[in-house]
Amino acid sequence: MATQTNSSSLPQPLTDRAVRRLGRKRITRAALRAYAPVAVLLVLGILIALANPNFIELRNLVRVANAAAVPLTIAMGTTFVILLGSIDLSAEGAVAVGAMVLVLLARNDANTHDFGWLAVLAAVAAGGIMGLVSGLVQTGLRIPSFMATLGTWFIGLGLATYMLGGSAVRLMDPALRGLALNRFAGLPVAVWVALGAFAVAAVIQTQTRLGRHILALGGGEDLAEYSGISPARVRLLAFTLAGLFYGVAGVLAASQLGQSNAVIGDGRLFAAVTAVVVGGTALTGGEGGVFNTLVGVLIVTVLSNGMVLLGVSPYVQQTVQGLMIIAAVALSLDRVRQTIVK
Amino acid sequence: MKALTAAVGWKGASSLPFRDLAPPGLLVLLVVIVEIFAPGFVTRDTLLMVLGDTAVLFLLATAETFVILLGGIDLSIQSIASLASVLLAQLLPILGGFAYPVAILAGLVFGILSGIVHVRLRVPSFVATLATGGVVAGLALLAARGRAITIEEGGRAYTAFVNATLFGLPSVVLLSLAVGLAGFWVLRYTRFGRYSVAVGAGEPAAWAAGVNVNRTKITAFAVSGTLAALAGVVLAARLSSGSPSLANQLMLPAIAAVIVGGTAITGGLGNVGRTAVGALIISIVRVGMTFIGVNIFAENVVFGAMLIAAVAVTIDRSKIAIIK
Repeated sequence: MATQTNSSSLPQPLTDRAVRRLGRKRITRAALRAYAPVAVLLVLGILIALANPNFIELRNLVRVANAAAVPLTIAMGTTFVILLGSIDLSAEGAVAVGAMVLVLLARNDANTHDFGWLAVLAAVAAGGIMGLVSGLVQTGLRIPSFMATLGTWFIGLGLATYMLGGSAVRLMDPALRGLALNRFAGLPVAVWVALGAFAVAAVIQTQTRLGRHILALGGGEDLAEYSGISPARVRLLAFTLAGLFYGVAGVLAASQLGQSNAVIGDGRLFAAVTAVVVGGTALTGGEGGVFNTLVGVLIVTVLSNGMVLLGVSPYVQQTVQGLMIIAAVALSLDRVRQTIVK
Repeated sequence: MKALTAAVGWKGASSLPFRDLAPPGLLVLLVVIVEIFAPGFVTRDTLLMVLGDTAVLFLLATAETFVILLGGIDLSIQSIASLASVLLAQLLPILGGFAYPVAILAGLVFGILSGIVHVRLRVPSFVATLATGGVVAGLALLAARGRAITIEEGGRAYTAFVNATLFGLPSVVLLSLAVGLAGFWVLRYTRFGRYSVAVGAGEPAAWAAGVNVNRTKITAFAVSGTLAALAGVVLAARLSSGSPSLANQLMLPAIAAVIVGGTAITGGLGNVGRTAVGALIISIVRVGMTFIGVNIFAENVVFGAMLIAAVAVTIDRSKIAIIK
């Protein structure tokens, strides 16, 4: 993790505006970088459609949207943490906790609870608490976020395994199963929930003080602190916010799967980080945001859908995603700002 | 002196004697506690069994030690270990004993790849290794076609020596001992070892002093990949099976072992001896939890909490200007 950044560099949110004042040549370069992920997504879509026209069938596009719902919701949370210049490795644990709480409180085949939609509230709250714990550990004990969240990742995983007794518990509430099974305007309800999460994230990033503070902190924490922002408070809020998104994702995942087990989050952290990074959000913080992540999630989902359509082994997907992280980071990282990379 | 310690406050806890003595003290305490709850624990046979069960964890933790000592982290060790287990299980019937070097060599290659991605592309190590870990996990799935591969009767002739006993000790314990001693020697007496400590303690100073920082880092990741593959091979031989998810639950205990042993996550302080103590602590805690009646399903909660606590105590906060 970059522990020292050049403090004389401007906070990143300002550069777009600054660039606009600086003449055409810079605009094209900045624009190129900002729209590169969109271009990648379009080219990818066109290539796959050319190779297999089934790709642009409505049924397949709905499938893509459905597959993108959970990753999008998770990646919203991860985006805010990465915008801070931190990392959140706890997504898989928090998703497992959210799904566990939902299934154990709604009607299921392991106990007699039947709290219906209250179980959803509890699950989202449980995710939020996981995030709050990550934030408290990081700011209170002053531990780098990747270590703090590595700890909460496994605490969440352990909690879910323990509460579920190491097995899978089925979700029997028809209304909650309906999140995945029922459709509204042609799309599964889960997709609308994920779009709602995206809208909330977009509003937080662009319209609220918290959103601006997160960007400011990621652009230069020392400067932000001198400007009167409390880093600890913003970090706590950002990690809690991320946890809330993971809780929602846990609800969606449990509803899609029809059950909850401890490995419900397996591979989700990797997909989320890939999406955030491929979308163009810088790991150094302060640059990018939820719109980038939406594009990133679509790139990752379209690519895996396309590979299935083209008959590529599904096992290669992780390999391809790994290479995508490397490529995206290599292309986007603003290395001039970093003196030490750890 | 006392006043001075008081003046530094909390730093006293991470001062040298505490850091040196706390982990072995904790280990002894844990053994005593388990012996009280389950008399007969401290016998030759039980202790040898615990040592044997710690071997794989210790090998993975040693791999991680080399990277953490530099101030980085390697999140790809579980994928590399799993890939090595798959390669061993698949190649034993074809290559016989030569499957071992091939599987371990794969670890070396992907370790070097992690190192190059980290250093050349200037990507933080946890992202670089998350990415290479993904690449490796995909390859392992592909090689095994998503299944677990059993090492059949024919291949077991070549895995017998891993499960054998030599000079009254399980051979995996002897292997761990050899790796531990080699690791200790490398870190203390070779140029690479001293450079590693220097880079971990202060990268700009090491660079200014003429240390080839990039080469040191790539070497550390290469060592980490090789040892992770070795751990995967041993695990596969012990379980007579290779699987793309064989080592998935082993990364956190391995990192926890390094940190609990007293190696600082900030780098520059630590060695393989501490990691041996840390690995034994993790093993005894795991054994102890069943004796004391903690549900085994909750073990990740315990390890996660131990990791956070150990990082909080051992971290050198003066080295981090802004904790991100």
